[in-house]
Amino acid sequence: MVETTGPEKNYGSQFGISKLCAVIILAIFVISLPASAQEYRSGWDIVEGGTSSDLFSVQAQDDEIWAFGENGTIIMSTDGGLNWQNYESSISSNLSISDSGFGAFIAAGTDGTVIIKSDSTSPWREISVEVGDGFISGISLTGNSTAVAVGNNGNIWTYDVQTWSNISVGEGDLLDVSFLDSDKGIAVGELGTILFSDDGGGSWDYRDAPTEASNSRIIDVEFFSDIRAYAITDNGEVLKSSRELTTAVGFLWNMQYFESEGGSSNLGVELTSIEIATTNKFLLSGADGYLSMSKDGGNIVNRQIIPVGNSTSFNDIAMIDGFNGVAVGSSGSLLLTERSGEDEQIGFEVMDFSEFGNFVDYSKGMLIDGLFATMNIVIFGIFLGFFLGISLSMMKTSPTTLKEIAQKRSPALIRIFGIVFLVIGIVLLRHLMPIFENLGLDGWEYIYAPIGIINPDGITGDLQFENFLFLILGVSLSLLGMLLISGDGTYKKSTYALGGREINWNPWGVRPLNFIATIYTDIFRNTPLIVQFLFIHFGVQIGALIGDPGAEMLEGSNGLITSFLRDDILSNRACVSAIFALGLNSGAYQCETIRGAISAIPSGQMEAGRSIGLNYMQTMRLIIMPQAIRICIPPMGNEMVNLVLNSSLAMVIGYSELTRKAKLINAVTFQVFWSYGMVLISYFIVTWTLALFLRYLENKTRIPGLGISGGN
Amino acid sequence: MSRVLSIKDMHKTYAGGVHAVRGVSFDVKEGESVAIIGSSGSGKSTVLRCINRLIEPTEGEVRLRGDLINTPNTDINDVRSRIGMVFQSFELFAHLRVIDNVTLGLRYVKGMSKKEAEREALEVLEKVDMLDRKDAFPGNLSGGQKQRVAIARALAMKPEVMLFDEPTSALDPELIGSVLKTIRGLADDGMTMVVVTHEISFARDVADRVIYMDQGIIAETGASSIIESPKTERLKRFLSSITEDD
Ligand SMILES: Nc1ncnc2c1ncn2[C@@H]1O[C@H](COP(=O)(O)OP(=O)(O)OP(=O)(O)O)[C@@H](O)[C@H]1O
Ligand SMILES: [Mg+2]
Repeated sequence: MVETTGPEKNYGSQFGISKLCAVIILAIFVISLPASAQEYRSGWDIVEGGTSSDLFSVQAQDDEIWAFGENGTIIMSTDGGLNWQNYESSISSNLSISDSGFGAFIAAGTDGTVIIKSDSTSPWREISVEVGDGFISGISLTGNSTAVAVGNNGNIWTYDVQTWSNISVGEGDLLDVSFLDSDKGIAVGELGTILFSDDGGGSWDYRDAPTEASNSRIIDVEFFSDIRAYAITDNGEVLKSSRELTTAVGFLWNMQYFESEGGSSNLGVELTSIEIATTNKFLLSGADGYLSMSKDGGNIVNRQIIPVGNSTSFNDIAMIDGFNGVAVGSSGSLLLTERSGEDEQIGFEVMDFSEFGNFVDYSKGMLIDGLFATMNIVIFGIFLGFFLGISLSMMKTSPTTLKEIAQKRSPALIRIFGIVFLVIGIVLLRHLMPIFENLGLDGWEYIYAPIGIINPDGITGDLQFENFLFLILGVSLSLLGMLLISGDGTYKKSTYALGGREINWNPWGVRPLNFIATIYTDIFRNTPLIVQFLFIHFGVQIGALIGDPGAEMLEGSNGLITSFLRDDILSNRACVSAIFALGLNSGAYQCETIRGAISAIPSGQMEAGRSIGLNYMQTMRLIIMPQAIRICIPPMGNEMVNLVLNSSLAMVIGYSELTRKAKLINAVTFQVFWSYGMVLISYFIVTWTLALFLRYLENKTRIPGLGISGGN
Repeated sequence: MSRVLSIKDMHKTYAGGVHAVRGVSFDVKEGESVAIIGSSGSGKSTVLRCINRLIEPTEGEVRLRGDLINTPNTDINDVRSRIGMVFQSFELFAHLRVIDNVTLGLRYVKGMSKKEAEREALEVLEKVDMLDRKDAFPGNLSGGQKQRVAIARALAMKPEVMLFDEPTSALDPELIGSVLKTIRGLADDGMTMVVVTHEISFARDVADRVIYMDQGIIAETGASSIIESPKTERLKRFLSSITEDD
C-alpha cells in the first residue's frame, strides 16, 4: 500500500481524490477476495490386495467382496475391503466379468469359463459354457444358481438346472447384461443395441437407444431398481432409463447431459464401467486413472482425485452401500472409499458464520437464485390464474339457464336429446360399475371412490383421469337426460308440499356454465393449498404429463424465450407443478374477485350493450370486463400478493424457491434467525414492489366516473 | 303509412308475480312519434323493454315491420340493432370516450372499420351538438350531455324506431331543455319514436299520439289533443295531479 500511494503524490493535484478512491476500491476488492484457494485430497485410499495381476471386476454383497482378474486371480475381503486374501482357484483364464445377487457370486472369462458360488458357505464351482470361436462379454445372475450370459453375434446363453442353452437374437455383438430380479433384465451391445427381457432371459425385445447413441458400443448396463437403470458407452456417454409416469423402467432411454461438460452428453474419456450408488448418484471408472462421481442427479460429473498415478487403468467399481465402495484396476490396484469417491476438502478456510457480513456474503447468491425461482413460478402462476379467473368468472355470471336453452328448440327435440343423454350417462356409469366393485369399498368409504377410480391399480398402474370424467359426465348426463325427458315445453318450476311447507324445485333454472365453474372453485377453495401442491406434483405428476412433452416440443429451438421456457421452466418438473398448483388455486380465488367486480357493474350496462345489438359475449368482453377489471385491481392486487406469499409452499415439493433456499442455508450455517430474517425481507421487497406497481396501474387506468368516485 | 311497430295483446308477469302489463296493443307508424304517459308503476318501462326484448313478454305479439320478433328463433341482436333505446340513467360506457361509445355498435355489430365508424359517429355527434366533447370520458360530462351522447349512440345505428324511457327524468331541470330539443329535432326529421315521459308539455307539443297507461293497460289513447281535453276520469285525475306537482 505504501509503495502505491507514494508516487501518487506527484499527481496529487491532478488526480487527487478520484485516483485515491480508485486505489481504495481496488484495495478493498483485493482484500475481500477469498484468502486462499481450496485444497482437496482424494476420497479414495489405497489398500493392499496382495496381488500384482490386473484386476478386471469386483463384486460386493452382504459382508463379502470378491475381485477377479488376470489368469484366474481371485481375491476376497470380509471386512469391508480393508484386508484381502488370495483364493486359490484352478482357473487359468482371465476372469473379466462378474455379477452378484440372490446371495450368490458369479465370474466368467471371455473364453466361456464360468464359475459360480451359490451362497456364502458353498465353494466356487466351475460351470463353463462352450462358446466355440465366439466369446462371452457379460453375465448376470437370475437366481442363486441360474444365470444369463451374452456374447458375440447376438448370442445369449441361459444357465438353468445345471445346463446351458443358447439362443441368438441378432447380428451384432452383445456386450453386457444385467438383471434386476429373476425376470426383468437388460442386455446391451454394439450399434446402440438395447434388449429387454421380462421372462428371465427366455425372450428379448428391442428397445430404442437415444439417437445420439445409436451407433455407440454400449459396454456396461446396471439395472438398479424399479425406477432406474444406467448404461455407458466406451466413448464416454451415459444412458439413463427411468420409470416415466406408468411406463416401466427400461423402455425409454435418454442421454445424460452434463452441465459440467457444457451441456454435452459426452465425457470425453474412455469408460470401462458404471456403478450406481443411489438412484441419483453413480460412479464411473475408465482408462488413464479415471474415476468420477455424479452430483445433482447426474447433471454434473467430476473427475475425482486418485491417490495413484494416471497410468492405472480402472476396470470396475463395487459399492457396498451408498458411501463405501471398492475400485479395482491394472496391476492389482485396489482403492477403497468411505465417501463414494468424492474429493475431500482440506486446507479450506472455513467461513466464520458468526459474523453477519460473512453470512450475507455466503447466502446472498443462494437467496437471489431462490428469488428468481420464486419469480418464475409467481409470474407464470399469475398468468395462469388470471386466465382461469377471467374464464371462470364469465362462466359463473353467464345468465343462460337450461330453460332458455330448451325453449329455443322444439319439445320433441328436447325429449330426444334427453333420451340420448340418459343413454350415454347410463352407458358411462355401467362402464364404471366393475371398477367401483373392484375397489373393495364399504359404506362410507365410498367418499374416497373418485380417487380410487382414477388410479385403481395404485403406484404401478395408469392414472385413468377419463374415469373421473366419466363419473361426472355419467351422473350429470343421466340427471340432465331425465330432466329433459320430463320436460313439457313450459319448463316451469315445480312446487311440492313437504311437511306443510312449500318447497320450490326448479332444475330448469340451473345455469350449466355456472354449475361447472362452481364445482371447480368449490374444489380449489375448500382444500388446503399445500395438499394441492403435493397432489399435483406427486400424485398427478403434472410435470411429467405437461412439462416433458412441452420441453420436447421446444426441442431444438434457440429463441431466447423458447429456450428459457424449455430449460428453466418445462424441464423442471417441480417448477411446472408449482406453476399449476399456484395458478389453478389462484384461478379459483381470482374468479370470485372478478365475479364480484362484474356484479358491481350496474345491470343497465349490460342492457345498454345488448340494446345496440351486441351479443352477450361481446358485451362482456367490450363493456363489462374492461370496467370490472379496473374495479378489481385493488382486490386482485391482494390476490397477487397472496400468490407470491403462497409460492413459498412450493418448497414441499422440492422446488428450490426462496424459502427452501433459506432452509438449505440453515443446514450449512445454522444461522436460523438471520436466514429466515433475510427471506422475510426478500419477500417484503417483492410484494411491496408489486403493491406499488398495482397502485400505479390503478391510477393509470382510472377513469372518471368509474370506481371510487361513484356511478355516472 | 306503413306500420313500423305493432304490439298486440302484450302481457308481462314478473318472476315475483307482479302482473305489470295486462294486454296492451298499439301500432306505431312510419315517422310517427308516440308518447306514453302514466303514473309511476303503471308499466310504461315494461312495455318499452318488452319491445326490444330486454325482458321477455309473457304473452302477446311484437312485430317489427310485420315480422314477429318475440319468438325464440328471432335473431335478437339484429332486431335490437334496428331499434334504438335511450335509458333514463344514460348507461354510457364509462371506460370509453364519447366517440368510442358511439362507434362501438358500428364496429362490432355493423362490422365497420374504425375509420368509417368514426366518420358516421362524428355526423351523429354533430346532430346532438356534442362534437366538441367527442374525446371526453362520460364521467366528465353533465347529465344533459350524457343523455345526448346516449341518443347519438342509439342514432348511429340508424335504427328504424327509437325508444326513449324517461330520457329527462334523471336530469336537473335546467338541463332538460337541451335533451328535449334534441328529441324534438329528431321528431321533426321524421324519426319514428316511442317516448315514455313525464314531461306533459313535451308530449303535447311533440307527440303525434299519446298513450295513457294505468295499472298495466292503455286507459286512453288518441291525438295529443287528449291532454287538453281528456275523455276518461282517470287521465283527468292524472293530469291534474301532475300539474299540481309542477
Ligand atoms: N324486474 C322487476 N321485477 C318485478 N317487478 C317489477 C320489475 N320491474 C318492474 N316491476 C314492477 O312492475 C310494475 C311496472 O313497472 P314499470 O317499471 O314498468 O313502471 P313504470 O310505468 O315504468 O314506472 P316509472 O314511471 O316509475 O318508471 C311495477 O309495479 C314494478 O314494481
Ligand atoms: Mg319506468
